[in-house]
Amino acid sequence: MALLLDIATTAALLFIVAAGLFVIFGVLKIINFAHAAWLTIGAYTTVLATGMGLDPWLSLPLALLVGGLLGALTEVAIVRPLYRRPLDAILATWGLGVVIVQLITLGFGRDMQMPPALMGGTVNMLGTPYSSYRLFLLAAAVVLGVVFVLVLERTRLGLNAQAVIMNETLARALGMNTGRVRMITFMLGSAIAAVAGVLLTPLSSVDPSMGISWLIGAFMLVMVSGTSVAALALACLCFGAAQVLVSTWVSPILGSVTVAVLCAVMLRLHPKGFARD
Amino acid sequence: MKTMKSIRFGLMMATMFGGAAVAQDGEPITIGIPVGLSGANSVVAPAVVQSSELAVEQINAAGGILGRPVAIQVVDDGSGATGAQSAFNTLVFQDDVDVLISMETSAARNAGLPIVEEGEKPYIYTSFYEGRSCSPNMFVNGWVPEQQVPPVVEKLMADGARRFFLIGSDYAFGRGMLEFSRQYIESKGGEIAGEEYLPMDGSDWTAIISNLRGSGADAVITSTAGGAPNVTLTKQLRAAGNAIPYANLAVDEGTAKAMGADATGILISASYLTGIDNPENKAFIEAMTAKFGADMRTPNDLSVPQYEAIYLYKAAVEKAGSTETDAVLAALPQVSFKGPRGEIAMSRQHHAPLTMYLGEVQADGSVKIVTHLPDVDPGAQCPDL
Repeated sequence: MALLLDIATTAALLFIVAAGLFVIFGVLKIINFAHAAWLTIGAYTTVLATGMGLDPWLSLPLALLVGGLLGALTEVAIVRPLYRRPLDAILATWGLGVVIVQLITLGFGRDMQMPPALMGGTVNMLGTPYSSYRLFLLAAAVVLGVVFVLVLERTRLGLNAQAVIMNETLARALGMNTGRVRMITFMLGSAIAAVAGVLLTPLSSVDPSMGISWLIGAFMLVMVSGTSVAALALACLCFGAAQVLVSTWVSPILGSVTVAVLCAVMLRLHPKGFARD
Repeated sequence: MKTMKSIRFGLMMATMFGGAAVAQDGEPITIGIPVGLSGANSVVAPAVVQSSELAVEQINAAGGILGRPVAIQVVDDGSGATGAQSAFNTLVFQDDVDVLISMETSAARNAGLPIVEEGEKPYIYTSFYEGRSCSPNMFVNGWVPEQQVPPVVEKLMADGARRFFLIGSDYAFGRGMLEFSRQYIESKGGEIAGEEYLPMDGSDWTAIISNLRGSGADAVITSTAGGAPNVTLTKQLRAAGNAIPYANLAVDEGTAKAMGADATGILISASYLTGIDNPENKAFIEAMTAKFGADMRTPNDLSVPQYEAIYLYKAAVEKAGSTETDAVLAALPQVSFKGPRGEIAMSRQHHAPLTMYLGEVQADGSVKIVTHLPDVDPGAQCPDL
């Protein structure tokens, strides 16, 4: 039972961390290497909010706001000219990530921050006491996934985004404001990444370089998922399971590289990964 | 990227105190301090620099060493091997300092040691470490596993623990500490329920914590890299509702304090805790507060040995009557200094017997000293010296 819960919650955590990167890559075809910095910004939003005496839960909407605003700013100032030069975009966003981490270090110092946890305690799951926060993460990932699908399938924005994904020139020729679609997408991706950062605070240390250790896994998962939410969810579940099983039965040291290795092998054997099209 | 920061500090102090009744003629004696101002040690290094500054200020105010003023030269070693090579080269060959005294990561120490030997300088290493690093030029006044682990294991066993689960970061210090813990527990009739490691940059302890839960262990001992992995593991252990006795071999008082509720009940074992009740420690903390005020970094198990090592060097030079390397190295094992940690002498194969304190983190973040073991022997660290 504990093993199944470990797998489900690990997959949920991977999904939450990768989601922001996925949105930006899926629609804009840009790999946002500042993703790790965005996670860190979210976590430091919690530090600031709780430092001002606010309830830790309020840092979720705050991070959404901060991430969204900074995302919009980044899109306009840095990313917009680079859509046709994806390699330069990698460099630019990577550089941006370095700058953000240094700014956070200047502002808060290198020391670890200790914001209060969102929730603690355990729940009895069929006889096994299990971390209630991890179960909450599972619920959060499911909600996030469902919202993704609904937005893509049932809203104007989702329809526009799909049009941009499929054929941007045609979309623009039909009078669609593709620039706006891009900006909103980048905003959403950044905002989701910042929220993921908040959600990491109860499980991870909060320091300027905290995002880095999550970046590679998220990046690999997005690479094998392409543009499909279902593919991302499936990838998180498969590779999360592999990570937990290898860690539990073989060695946690091997387990921690499982996601990266399996993704690399998959891309070699089946370049489209989990994506069907 | 690399910031090279050098501070000529002692000379300035010498001029400031020049008017007082102190003899401060002649060439200053220069102490080289290679330390990780950037990188992994950047959180603890400022406290080490502060305690060095205090020691030098006090020594100069009291007349220096052999009537000569003392200066310190701080160089950033980037907390790693490459940075240490250039920092040690600068101090040994370019600045030609008289002695090197500092805490370092094990990687930085290993990189610097050949340079110290080649340049024929005395070197006092002031960090606790995994043990068994031996050189005719190096003396150590921090603890080794043989001193830190026994108080923890004995306390846990006295409280009824028999099956231990060990969790660490996968690097020399983490593995060294737990290797010794395993042998010690087994020699005392305890059992090892499991031993697991995660890479230093790993952040997901889920599977290890589930294995811990399934192992039926009644106590857990951890030895991670300081900083992020330590905090991540503690948070995840607590989130999983883990309530068995928990000893953390790698947490310092400041970090425990900052972790808040998650740290409550953690056992820590150290040769220095701020709560040590003796006149030397009171005087030390008062002097630190007076000198640095609000900027004071909380003294810790690295900065206090650094402070004492500078006094031990002073005693050795005074005993030898010169700063000649051979004479100083011959005098170092024979001298002692009574500091905040008590009477310190590096008399056992270049290592020091230490009084070890066992602390328990309280709900308010303070560390209560539960018990102490006087003069714990470092064991046979360097039988060839």
